[in-house]
Amino acid sequence: MTEKNHFHSSGERAWCPGCGDFGILSSVENALMNLGKRPHEVLIVSGIGQAAKLPHYINTNGFDGLHGRALPAAFGAKAANHRLQVLVTSGDGDIYGEGGNHFIHAIRRNIDITLIVHNNQIYGLTKGQASPTSDLGMVTKTQPNGVSTIPFNSLAIAITLDAVFVARSFSREMEFTTQLIEEGVRTPGFSLIEILQPCVSFNTVNTYKWYSERVYKLDSPYDPADKLQAYKKSGEWGEKIPIGVLYKKPRRTFLDNQFKPKDLPLFQRKTVMKEIISLTNELFE
Amino acid sequence: MRYSEITIRFCGIAGDGVVSSGKIFAGACAKIGLHVMVNDIYSAEIRGLGKSSSTIRFSTSKLNSMGDGIDLLVGMAAKESIVDLHDIKQEGSVMYDTSTPGSVVEEDSLVAHITPEIHGYGIPIKQLANEASGTNQGKNLVAIGAICYFYSLPPDMFIEQIKAIFARKGERIVETNITAFRLGYDYFKEHYPLNNQFEISKGLKPKTLISGNEAIAQGAIDCGLKFFAGYPITPATKIMEIAAKELPKLEGWTLQMEDEIAAISAVLGAWFAGKRAMTATAGPGLSLMSEMINMSVMAEIPAIIVNVQRGGPSTGLPTKVEQGDLNIALYGGSGDSPRVVMAPCDSEECYNGIQLAFDIAEKYQTPVIFLSDLFLGQRIETVAIEPNIDRERCTRKRPTPEQLKNYLRYQITDDGVSPLIVPGESGAIYSITGLEHSVTGNPNYESDVHSMMTAKRFRKFESMVADLPQADIIGDEKAVIGLAGWGSTIGSILEGMEIARKRGVTSKLIKSIMIHPQREDLFQEFFASCKKIIVPEMNYQGQYADLLKSRYGIRPIEVHIPSVNPVSPLKIAQKIMEANDELSQ
Repeated sequence: MTEKNHFHSSGERAWCPGCGDFGILSSVENALMNLGKRPHEVLIVSGIGQAAKLPHYINTNGFDGLHGRALPAAFGAKAANHRLQVLVTSGDGDIYGEGGNHFIHAIRRNIDITLIVHNNQIYGLTKGQASPTSDLGMVTKTQPNGVSTIPFNSLAIAITLDAVFVARSFSREMEFTTQLIEEGVRTPGFSLIEILQPCVSFNTVNTYKWYSERVYKLDSPYDPADKLQAYKKSGEWGEKIPIGVLYKKPRRTFLDNQFKPKDLPLFQRKTVMKEIISLTNELFE
Repeated sequence: MRYSEITIRFCGIAGDGVVSSGKIFAGACAKIGLHVMVNDIYSAEIRGLGKSSSTIRFSTSKLNSMGDGIDLLVGMAAKESIVDLHDIKQEGSVMYDTSTPGSVVEEDSLVAHITPEIHGYGIPIKQLANEASGTNQGKNLVAIGAICYFYSLPPDMFIEQIKAIFARKGERIVETNITAFRLGYDYFKEHYPLNNQFEISKGLKPKTLISGNEAIAQGAIDCGLKFFAGYPITPATKIMEIAAKELPKLEGWTLQMEDEIAAISAVLGAWFAGKRAMTATAGPGLSLMSEMINMSVMAEIPAIIVNVQRGGPSTGLPTKVEQGDLNIALYGGSGDSPRVVMAPCDSEECYNGIQLAFDIAEKYQTPVIFLSDLFLGQRIETVAIEPNIDRERCTRKRPTPEQLKNYLRYQITDDGVSPLIVPGESGAIYSITGLEHSVTGNPNYESDVHSMMTAKRFRKFESMVADLPQADIIGDEKAVIGLAGWGSTIGSILEGMEIARKRGVTSKLIKSIMIHPQREDLFQEFFASCKKIIVPEMNYQGQYADLLKSRYGIRPIEVHIPSVNPVSPLKIAQKIMEANDELSQ
C-alpha cells in the first residue's frame, strides 16, 4: 500500500500471533479508507471477546461495551447522530450467544449499521469453550463429551428476517473481505458480514487449512436477490462453504421511517417551547 | 354536615367504570378549583376476576396523602365492596345498587353487611343507567350524579366535565351520559333530601391534574429529552406512552426495544453520541439493567433511569406499591460503583427533579437512578407546577483548544470531571470501554491506574455536593422528635405530623430528593438536634434507615411497612405519640 492509511493505529494488540483477527482489522481499515471516510466520522462499537478488542486497535471513535450489548448501544449512537458511520465488530459468542436477542431485533429494526461478526466457532477470550457456532462433536473443557447442540445458522436467520445485506467471508481473503465491507457500508440499512476466522490457540478443528479447503466464492449465475436460493446457500456447510454476498434486498431503513437524510442529527436539535399538557381530558384516551 | 374535605371510594369490577369514575370526579373537582388526589387500586389481570377501586380525596386545602379512611363508599359491585365497608369513617356513608333486590345470596349482599353506624343509601343505579342508555353503561355517572347532590357540589361543573371528556365519542354519548348523571342527581334529591354542604369558597381557579409518571415525562421533555428507549412494564409504561406521543411532535423519538437491557444500552449509546436520553422501568427491569448501569459508571457516560417501584422481589406485586428498590438502586452493581440516586416525593418534585437529574447526569457524566413508586407514579393530583421550558442548557464540560490538541477522554481533574467532546466532532477521536482504562480511554489494568481512576469516579460525587439542593426541614424546628423519610411516604409523614401536632406533640421532618449523594452536613445537624428519630418507609428491611444508620451513626425508631397501600398518616402520628411518651417517661 502506497498511501498511508489514517485508520491504522500503531499500538500494541493483545491477539495471538497468527490470529484471524489481524486480517479482519486490516480489511476494516482498508474498506474505510477506500470509502473515503475520516477517522472522526466513524464509530466502531463492540461487545466483549477477542474480536471486541478491535475498536482499541483502530483510529476511529470506539465504544467497547458490554458482552452481547454492542448492537443496541450502536443503535442509540446512530439514532442520536445519524451522520456517524457506525460499524459493529464482535465475535460469534458475543453477537449470537449473549446478544442473540439483540441480533434478531437489530435486523428487524434495520438501522444503518454494518455488523461484522468474527466467527471463529469458539470462545477465545475465556480460553476455548464451545460457541453458538461450534460444530457438532467439538470437544472442549466445558463440553468434554463433545458439542451436542446444533450450530446457530446466523445467515439463515438474517435472510429469513430480510436483512438488507447478508455476506460471508474468510479472514485470509483480505481483498475480498475489504470489498464486502465496503459494499455492506454502502448499503443503506442493517448489513451482516460474517467472517470466518481461525482461532490459532483454541480451535484445533476449524483451522486455516480447514477453511481454505472448503470456502469457495459465489459467482454468477448466483443471484443474491433470490431469497429461496439464498436460504438454501446459507445451509451449505461442511465439504463446501460459500463466501460472498448471499442475500441482498433493499428495504426501508429505520432512518427512512424517521426523517429525511438532510435533517439535523437528533443531538443537534433544540428543545421546542411547549406548554404543560393539561391532562384532564387526555386521561381518557 | 359541613365538610371541607371528603374521601370517596368507587368499588367494583371490570365494566363498572370504576377508574373512569375517579377520573371524571377528579376532573370536575379540579375544574372547580379544589385540591384533589386520586388513587386507583386494581389487580394485575386486565379483565375478569379482578376487583378495582378508585379513591378520590378532595379538599379546599393542599393534600399531602390519601389520608385514613373514607367518607363515602360507592358499591358498584356488591360482593367486592363488602371488605371496603371497614374503611368507612365514623358517621360515614355507603351507596349501593337496589336494582336487583333478592338476586344475590345474603352473604354476598352489601346491604346485609352494613352496620348501624354507617348510613346506607340505596339507589337503583343499574336501572337508572338503563333508563338513560338502554344498557348498563353509565352506571358510574348515575352514582356521580347522586354524590354531586349528596355533597351539594355544583352540577354544572360535572356536566361540563362530561361534555369535555365524551365529546370525541359523539353527541349522543354526551347526551346519554348527562341524562344518566341527572337521573342519579334527581333520584337522590327526591329520596334523600339532605343538607350536607361541601364548603367551596369563591374565586377558586381551575387546577392542573397530573400523575407522577406524567410529570416525569413532561419534565424530561421540557429539559431536552429527545430520545426515549424503553420496554413496557407496570407501572412505568405510562412514561413511555407519553414520550411516544409527544417526542415525535418535537422531532424526537421513542423506541420500544426488545428488552430492558437493549433499552438502557440504547440510552447509553445516545448519550455517548451527544443527546439527552432516558429510559423508565420497574424493579425487574432495573435488575436487568444493572450491568449497563455499571458500564455507565465505568465509562462515565450519563444515563437517566426512572424506576417506578412496585411490590416485592422478582415479578412480585406488579400493581401494588412498595419502596423496596432503594438497595438495588444504591448498590446494584459489581465493584465500587457510585451512582446518583434521587427520589421525588410528589408530582411537583417529579417534574423539577427529573430536570435536575438530567443536569447532574450530563455535568458529572454519571448514571442517575430516579426512584418513583407506583402510588406516586399513578396517582393523579392537582399541582402548581411552574412550566420550566426551554431548559436545554448544556451542562457538559468542554475541553479548551489546548486540551483538545492532545485530547484525553479521562483527563484527571480536581473535580473528577473530564472535559468531553461528542464523537463525530472533528479534532479528536476516542474510545471508551467498560474495562478499567487510563486517561486516554485505553484498557489498563495497573494497580495505580485503577486506584487513580476509582478515586476520580468517586471524587465527582464530592464535587457534586455544591450543586445539590438543600435538604428541606419541615415542621417545628425546636421539636426534639425528628422524622426522616423518602419518596411518596413523605406525604403520609407530613399528614401524620399534623395529626400529632393537633394532639399536642410537635415534630420535624428532614427530606431531600437526593438520596445519594446527600447534603450530609444538614442531615448531621438535624439528627444532632433530635432526641428521637423516626424513619418510616414502605419496605420490610428498612432500606433507607440502613443507609442513614451507616451514614450518620444514628439509632432511629424504624417503621417498616411492607405495603400494598399508601402509608396511613394515623400510623405515623401514633409513632410520634409513642416516641413522645417514651421521652416523657
